Amino acid sequence: MMEIREDLGPVRQRAMVLLLAVFLVFGALHLRVAQLQLIEGAHWRRMAENNRLRRLPLAATRGRIYDRRGHVLADNLPTWNLLLFPDEARNLDETLLFVADLGIDEAFSLHRRVNKRGADRLAPMVVGENLDWRQVASVRSHQSDHPELSVVAGFRRHYPLGRATAHTVGYLRLVSEEEFEANPQLDPNSRVGATGIEALADDFLTGQPGERWVVVSALGRQLGVVRENPSASGKDLAVTLDADLQQVAAEALGERSGAVAAIDPRNGAVRVLYSAPSFDPELFSGKLSPEDWKDLSDDPRHPLQDRCLQGTYPPGSTIKPFFALAALAEGLITPDWTVQCTGAVVLHGHRFRCWRRGGHGRVNLSRSIEASCDIYYYQVGQRLGIDRMARWLKTFGFGHRTGIGLPSEAAGLIGNPEWSRRVRGTPWYPGEAVSVSIGQGPVLATTIQLARAFAVLANGGRLVTPYVVVDPESADPIDLGLNPSDLARIRQGLDLVVHGDRGTARSLARLPVAGKTGTAQVVRLQEGIDSDDLAPHLRHHAWFVGWAPIEEPRLVVALIVEHGGGGGSIAAPTASAIFSAALGEEGDSQSEQRLRE
Amino acid sequence: MEHRIDAWLILAVASILGASLVTQNAVAGVLGTQLLARQLLWACGGMLTLLALSRIRLDLYARLAPIVYALGLAALVGVLFFGEMRSGTRGWFAVGPLTIQPSEFARVATILMVAAWLARRSGTRLSAKEATVVVALVVAAAGLVALEPDLGVTLTYLPVAVTALWLGGLPRWAWIGLVVLSILIGVAAWHTGLKDFQKERVLTVLDPERDPFGVGYQVRQSKIAVGSGGVAGQGVGHGSQSLLRFLPAQHTDFAFAVWAEATGFVGATCLFLAYALMLYRIGMAAVVAENRHGVVLAALVGAWLAFQVVVNLGMVLGLLPTTGITLPLFSYGGSSLLSTCAALGVVQSVWRHRLVNQ
Repeated sequence: MMEIREDLGPVRQRAMVLLLAVFLVFGALHLRVAQLQLIEGAHWRRMAENNRLRRLPLAATRGRIYDRRGHVLADNLPTWNLLLFPDEARNLDETLLFVADLGIDEAFSLHRRVNKRGADRLAPMVVGENLDWRQVASVRSHQSDHPELSVVAGFRRHYPLGRATAHTVGYLRLVSEEEFEANPQLDPNSRVGATGIEALADDFLTGQPGERWVVVSALGRQLGVVRENPSASGKDLAVTLDADLQQVAAEALGERSGAVAAIDPRNGAVRVLYSAPSFDPELFSGKLSPEDWKDLSDDPRHPLQDRCLQGTYPPGSTIKPFFALAALAEGLITPDWTVQCTGAVVLHGHRFRCWRRGGHGRVNLSRSIEASCDIYYYQVGQRLGIDRMARWLKTFGFGHRTGIGLPSEAAGLIGNPEWSRRVRGTPWYPGEAVSVSIGQGPVLATTIQLARAFAVLANGGRLVTPYVVVDPESADPIDLGLNPSDLARIRQGLDLVVHGDRGTARSLARLPVAGKTGTAQVVRLQEGIDSDDLAPHLRHHAWFVGWAPIEEPRLVVALIVEHGGGGGSIAAPTASAIFSAALGEEGDSQSEQRLRE
Repeated sequence: MEHRIDAWLILAVASILGASLVTQNAVAGVLGTQLLARQLLWACGGMLTLLALSRIRLDLYARLAPIVYALGLAALVGVLFFGEMRSGTRGWFAVGPLTIQPSEFARVATILMVAAWLARRSGTRLSAKEATVVVALVVAAAGLVALEPDLGVTLTYLPVAVTALWLGGLPRWAWIGLVVLSILIGVAAWHTGLKDFQKERVLTVLDPERDPFGVGYQVRQSKIAVGSGGVAGQGVGHGSQSLLRFLPAQHTDFAFAVWAEATGFVGATCLFLAYALMLYRIGMAAVVAENRHGVVLAALVGAWLAFQVVVNLGMVLGLLPTTGITLPLFSYGGSSLLSTCAALGVVQSVWRHRLVNQ
């Protein structure tokens, strides 16, 4: 124990001094409060009025999309947007009426959007996009009445080729509410890729938006910048498409519905993906008006559907080379094996006709392709049987997605007995296999699948994966292990389709093209009725699928004209424009040579 | 014999906590009500801690001090390795949904240790060796906090060391030497140690319009908020939009500005009075204590709290540079609130056992 009475005098004294010092400082601080609040109060209140903090979004430009030659497919145009800072409005209803009066949006939809906006009070709303000069002038001249409105520079997506690339390049959409809830960092006013390459490469193209915190006066004039996170532009993207060919394809199809897919058979690089009818993709770059949306969605021709990737059609006679190849590979036929075509044959108790009423006479392999004899392929199909046909079609890439990477690709269909039971719920009829052997009945393919399958014939037996955006991790072509001499026979037949005396695509004869026509029935023809007599929506689909040049193929084109009629009469001439353009000067000299021969 | 707890001090603490909750409620619209609920929980826990610690006999604090101090240092070392990082500072232990800031509690431990050590000195002056020990006890803890690095909290160890030396007693020449030394250190720091933004903060105090949208932004906004409170304030929850929109750290460092804007000169004065009452009662506990340990303990706690109040209010009122020191019992933060209440509980133990000699 310590001493009972220690001398606490000095330490107490020092504690008192401390206490006194603290109170002196406290007094001084209180005087400062009095100075700020009592003497200068009015001044600081005025300062508070002229002291609004705003968070201005800094738009990040989206990367441009170029075609293989550097033509711009998607670009950004500067535009004026109208921002509203809802919390600053003295009378929000009046402000929204003012905006509505400018013709920017309707008052009730503005109201709905203001009420739905998130909790972040500093974030502005984009209430108008793509303002015209009259609207900009109107807002600017009423700036002192409506300091809560601000005209800012923004960007609007522009597609120089417009309709010609609408489906493939794609378009933009506003960030959805679900996406915004999942990631509140997103700017609810921003747009993301909705379809096509814009969606496929969205991460690559999207920049990092920035923001700038500014102090503005009571009249909305910017006084100073408090903080700024600059935006970072998205990266530019070069794709495999060929803008010139794309436009040629669009012109060649014209007003007709249909699709063109063209790929480089050596590697799968996609040169053309065009679907008709098309639409103006820039409708989606700004606020889509209800009328425009109604026009698009109510159009009976469904312009928004991408017929290249989503449209599934009976492949018709374009399927024949693959069954021929299958039968050769299975050893079921030889190139010299012949069939006598009399115009019809009875199988499984039904009469199946050849498209040529009078028949083709005796037909061997190359003649069967050249003249597209149905009877020959009914017999090939009988020898293969439905299961082997289905397996071989899968080998050539039918019945499953090509893996092109673009959104919403359809898988097509290969019917077989198992599918019939499981999906259709009805038994498989042997007659259906007869139809399948000429590409009718339960077999459906997309345009891009046919282009890919013909690329196998063109490149010597390798199944490539089509691509528009180069992906270093993409799959290498699959060697299908086909017999080169079998392939050569098929290629010879496809050459004769264009250049033979009985070929179905002789309208292309001046070009170094090999390929196959196809006429896909929409309805079964009654005796004595011609396809041209049918109502337009029941007429046949016209196919042409082929490649050029014949010996060193650089381009496979698959083309369908919906309800166009005959493949030889309609599709092949349409394809000739695309082949001519693709072959260019070099092609011209080759074709001239061929003409001289 | 045991005295009753000091009702005046309880009144002062309860008033400050009440005003704090009102302020947290005012900014809840911006920051969410979760912070308010937590602060309410901390306030209740703080009051219970205060009452509990006031019952412990003073000599027990002296005996436990080395253990508590060792635990504090261990926690400070531990947080450097296992702590959670927040904006560049590794200073928090995560415990479930809560985080604990050991630097706040280690300060109380340091005060206990220094007080216990000083209580056993006698005489009116510290020897050079004794002074060194006092400084070393504080620097050991403060140095660990500086490593996190948390400069704001490190700074709050300064009044503990200075007050300990002041109470222990140093010759006049030593004080003059310390003042000269700190000026020299200040000049040296200005030229080598301080970062540019820290220098700007100091310069902004001298010239408020220096960079109104950059470094001077916070202080300017704080002054606008306080000043526009006027006489009676703009009403809780009705504070000018500038409050909701501009004021950074409105629930922590600048919480006083929110209060001053909402309640005006009247409310600000009431809060000043509450702090003055609290510090006065701590001072009284120090002055009436019948042993050296009690005097030193209460005075150290008082000096620390006074330092934080003055530095924080000086910053909010634009008189001192921005340092990140919070307003005790008022700013949001569980560790700070609990450790402050614990320290006040120790002061109450001094008060209740003031006539009991060790």
